[in-house]
Order: sequence, then structure tokens, then C-alpha cells
Amino acid sequence: MSLTLEIVTPEARVYSDTIDTVVIPTVDGEIGILPGHIPLLTQVADGELRVIKDGKELFLAVGNGFAQVEGDKISILAERAITEEKIDEKAVEEALKRAETQLKESAHLDPAEQEHLHSVMRFAGVQLALKRRKR
Amino acid sequence: MASTRDIRRRIKSVKNTRQITKAMELVAASKMKKAQQLALAGRPYTQLLSSMLAALAPRVAELKHPFLDQREVKVRGILLVTTDKGLCGPLNANLFKLVTEIKTPAKFFTMGRKGAQFIARTHRDLAADFAVQDRAPFSEVKVAIEHMVQKYLAGEIDTVEVIYSRFRNTLVQESTLRPVLPLASLASFIQQAHTEAGTVPKKDDRDMLFEPSAPEVLEALIPFYVNRHVYQLVLSARASEHSARMVAMKTAKDNATKLVGELSLEYNKARQAAITQEILEIAAAQFAA
Repeated sequence: MSLTLEIVTPEARVYSDTIDTVVIPTVDGEIGILPGHIPLLTQVADGELRVIKDGKELFLAVGNGFAQVEGDKISILAERAITEEKIDEKAVEEALKRAETQLKESAHLDPAEQEHLHSVMRFAGVQLALKRRKR
Repeated sequence: MASTRDIRRRIKSVKNTRQITKAMELVAASKMKKAQQLALAGRPYTQLLSSMLAALAPRVAELKHPFLDQREVKVRGILLVTTDKGLCGPLNANLFKLVTEIKTPAKFFTMGRKGAQFIARTHRDLAADFAVQDRAPFSEVKVAIEHMVQKYLAGEIDTVEVIYSRFRNTLVQESTLRPVLPLASLASFIQQAHTEAGTVPKKDDRDMLFEPSAPEVLEALIPFYVNRHVYQLVLSARASEHSARMVAMKTAKDNATKLVGELSLEYNKARQAAITQEILEIAAAQFAA
């Protein structure tokens, strides 16, 4: 028995495949899902998501959302998600710098805007960590 | 019959108009493509979100949340999503028809200049007007939604509803009134979402595990859902706008082409008549000589 995993962001369906195991970063720590897991609904935190399919590992950076396990179907709703090979290190670094300067320059930004910048930075950090760890 | 010069002038002006409408059609077509893509790309996300909520709802029947309370409706809160610019056929007029059907007291929030103008002109209660860029970024739409939610929580309005043009396809847009809050009608909404998508709700009635805890998940999921849901409606309205504009401009262009044809015929006839007249005159003069 295998699991189907689906990762959806507002822009696109990032990942959809049958897999063996997935480890999801949640607000309470990582959760590993195996076939036959009981139904679960949890909040996803910014972090790396590990998919194991046919003995091979695949990493994705996900940000902020919800995950649902129902039957043998895992659905992940994330504000952002990107597979490892698609991460562009330079672009991420630039985005990180932009967000940092924006945060520094504008103390008067409203809280929502600041929160957004912070989440952008967190996600950028996750992406960089994921990309660099492999070397 | 009008003089040839007058006709020539009219042909020229109609041709100019045709050129403008043609350019606008092309612009609208490219914008439409993007808007449609965006609206369609967001759909699986919103569907998944509502199915999560659907899975959650029966299991947390005892949970309390202000968004789930059904209270007496004194003042309705209505978000009217229209276009900023005109020249998009009957799109806005159809929305206004829906607005005029509302007889109970209501506060209006508008997104799009045309809607704000209409509400102000008809002396309805305009609570706020939000300017949103053509691309409709989530951050800007969110401001409007959160403003309404605040008013809802403060008890100034008792419902949150959205009037928008639902995008069916390029030729068909439906003016629709969609209730958003309270979420009491959730079950029926989910049913509708499923029938629209042609899917069957899944059954898995084992106990569900919530992490960190059911109230916390609900607390996070519901506002998130409301934001996303309304955003999806706005995207749909944008796709409708550009589609309607493209179709309207295409019709205008076709009409102009037809008009040019008719005028050219008239012009040629007038010219022919003038030449015949001249020949007759010369012939008559020669004959007299």
C-alpha cells in the first residue's frame, strides 16, 4: 500500500505523486507519515519536507500552511513550496537581502507587512539551508 | 445624398475607432489569458482548503468560533467587486442589478472604481472603497477582507457577502452573490464546490488527530480560509473583466469593419453619380456648341 502526496500552493500544484513516506515539518516538530496513518490535520511550519519514494529521498522547502492525512491521501496546502533542484541560490540570497533592507529601512511598516517580510526571510533561510547542506 | 467629402471623413473616423478597439482587444486578450490562468491555478488550492474544512467541521461540532455563529442579520455587509474602467460590456450593469435587488439595510464595501461611483450615486451606504491593482495581489485584497472581518467581529455588520462576476468561460460571466460569513452554510457550500469540480466527497470517519489541538487548528484555518476564499472570488472577477472587455472590443471592431464597408459602398456610389453627372454636362455642352 502506498501513499499519494499532493502539495498545492496558490500558484500551482507543486508535487503530486505516489510515495512511500513523507516527513512534514509542523509547528510542533516533524511528523513522519507512513501508510495506515490515522486521519490528521496539522499546521505546517516553514521547513524542509522529506519525501521517500522507491528508496530515494527528495527534499522540498515548504512554508506556512496546513497538512491533512485522510485515508492514504496526504494533502499539503502551503503558501510557498519549491523542490530542491528548482531553488536558485542567488535569487534567494538577493530576495533575502531585499527583505532585510526593507525591514531595516521602514520601522513604520504596518505589522502585517512586517510579518510578511519575516515569513519571506524565514522561507529564504529554509531554502538556503536545504541547498547548502548537500555539499 | 451626403457629399463625397463628408463620407470620406466619416470613413476615416470610423477607421480610427476600429484601430483603437482593435488595440484594446489585443491588450484585453493578453490580460485575460494571465487572469484566467491565475484564477484556474488558484482553484485546486481553494478546493483543497474547503475540503479540509469539510473534514474538520463534523468532528468539531462542539467548537465555538465567531465565524460559525449564526446571528440575527440586521445590517448586511456586502463587498462589491467591479472593474475600475468601463468598456467591458454589460458586466458592471449586471452587478448593479443585483445590488438594486437588495432591499434590507446593508453596508457596502467596494473594490473597483465603477462600483464605488454607483453606490455613491444611488445614495447607498458606502462604508469603504479599496483600490486594488489590476494584477490583484493577495496582499491588497487581504486588506479589504480583513477590514470587513473586523467590522463583522465588532458587530457593525452581521454578514459578509460578495457580489462579483463569476467566470464561467470567455463568453459567459455570471453576476453572483456569494455569502462568505457566517460559515453556517459551510456544508452546502462544500457540496457545491464538489459538484462544480465534479468530485465526490471522501469518507474516512475514523477519529481525526489534530496537532497542536483542534481549537488551535480551527483558529488558524478559518481566517485563512476566509481570506483565500474571497481572494479566489476576486481573481474570478478579474478574469471575467478582461474576458468581457475583450468580447466587447471584438464586437466593436467587427461593427466598425461593417460600417466602413457600408460607408465605402455609399462613397463609391456618390462618386460614380458625380462622374456621370459631369460627363452628362460635358456632353450637353458639346452638343449645344
